[in-house]
Amino acid sequence: MRFQRHDLHTLTGSYALDALEGEELGEFERHLDRCPSCLSEVRGLRETAARLAMATAERPPAAMREQVLALAERTRQLPPLTGETPARRAVSRRARRVWIPRFSVAVAALSVAAAVVFGVNQNSAQDQLNSIRSQLTSAEAHNHALAAVLAASDAHLVSSGTSHGGAVTAIVSPHEGKLVVVTSGLPALPASKVYELWLLGPSVARPSGLLGGAQNGHTDPVVAAGLAAGYKLGVTVEPAGGTLRPTTAPIVDMSL
Amino acid sequence: MRQPRLSPGPEEGRDQDLEGLLVRVARGDHAAFETVYDALSAPVFGLIKKVLRDPSQSEEVAQEVLLEVWRTASRFDAAKGGAMSWAMTIAHRRAVDRVRSETSAAQREQKVAPDPVSGPDDVADAVEANLESQRARRCLDGLTEVQRESVKLAYYGGYSYPQVAKLLGVALGTVKTRIRDGLIRMRDCMEVSW
Repeated sequence: MRFQRHDLHTLTGSYALDALEGEELGEFERHLDRCPSCLSEVRGLRETAARLAMATAERPPAAMREQVLALAERTRQLPPLTGETPARRAVSRRARRVWIPRFSVAVAALSVAAAVVFGVNQNSAQDQLNSIRSQLTSAEAHNHALAAVLAASDAHLVSSGTSHGGAVTAIVSPHEGKLVVVTSGLPALPASKVYELWLLGPSVARPSGLLGGAQNGHTDPVVAAGLAAGYKLGVTVEPAGGTLRPTTAPIVDMSL
Repeated sequence: MRQPRLSPGPEEGRDQDLEGLLVRVARGDHAAFETVYDALSAPVFGLIKKVLRDPSQSEEVAQEVLLEVWRTASRFDAAKGGAMSWAMTIAHRRAVDRVRSETSAAQREQKVAPDPVSGPDDVADAVEANLESQRARRCLDGLTEVQRESVKLAYYGGYSYPQVAKLLGVALGTVKTRIRDGLIRMRDCMEVSW
């Protein structure tokens, strides 16, 4: 280990002020899981920092109020977390694993497609798509949006590697105005970051969903709507929860 | 339209109000969210602007943060800290993320010459007199020079501690301990009860 326990403990202050980066941040967060006294100190120092924030209060432009309230009107909220103890978490993980197989046929097929299509010609891409479709019809298609895109007569498959490694695959239906995005082999991100999808038009970058955590290197399919002619698909790394505009360079930027 | 509350009285009472409101926000109560907006928008916007400087960029990030408060209200846990501190943690992290993303770093360097050691004084005009923030300033004045500058550069400047060390010309280990010692002294001076 690079840091002595003593050194790590002195990082509570820097952590509370978001002054840690990279590997050191990850290392300290892992340490926090095992160090109740550090966690308690971090909480107290965060409260202290919040008082420092109060000294900089400044009224934002009045128009912002209506904008935020309007955005809230059409933004779904996260459900509460249920279960606090590690034992309960383990149960819920198991429960999730039982539930997921409904999707798994599509996920597995799309992931294979991502691996195969990357660098392979369009005919075999079409074959892959047909194969995904035939497997999906036999699976219970409980997600109508997903099923509708995959079943669309104009659906086609696009795949590309990313600058961070791994590949992004999209099943695109211009007629439905939607696409289904899956990935394979994207590097895992720290809890404070997320992969965000964007539909990139000539003058807009529309937030189009967040990729969930990967299972066996594959993320669950995400359906993005609002596709128009000439749009591209972009993926960026953003703070957890996503942003309204991309704040980093796309790791992939693919024509649909 | 209700005016943002900038002088809401004692810290503890306000935090309890906010906690109750966040519980209602988590259930989708839009009226409660309006009140939360009025309580949080000035501290959130002010802190983000302190770090980012650029007003339009700050407004954009403040919008994201306030929407995040709406979206994740169910994840607020009063056992882990106060409501204000929860919101300010989100705000500061977002501001710092924006600073550290490459594009915005380049923009910031172009737009503003470094002014790292300016204190909170330059926003004084915009802040209504508030006992709690006066106290914060007084406590900040009670720190040693290196403690105070380290805390201010990290928190208001959005710098990582290695960057703070470079700016102050002191060793990494020194900055780590000065930031921690300074914050602990602030905590005790302001009688923070966590």
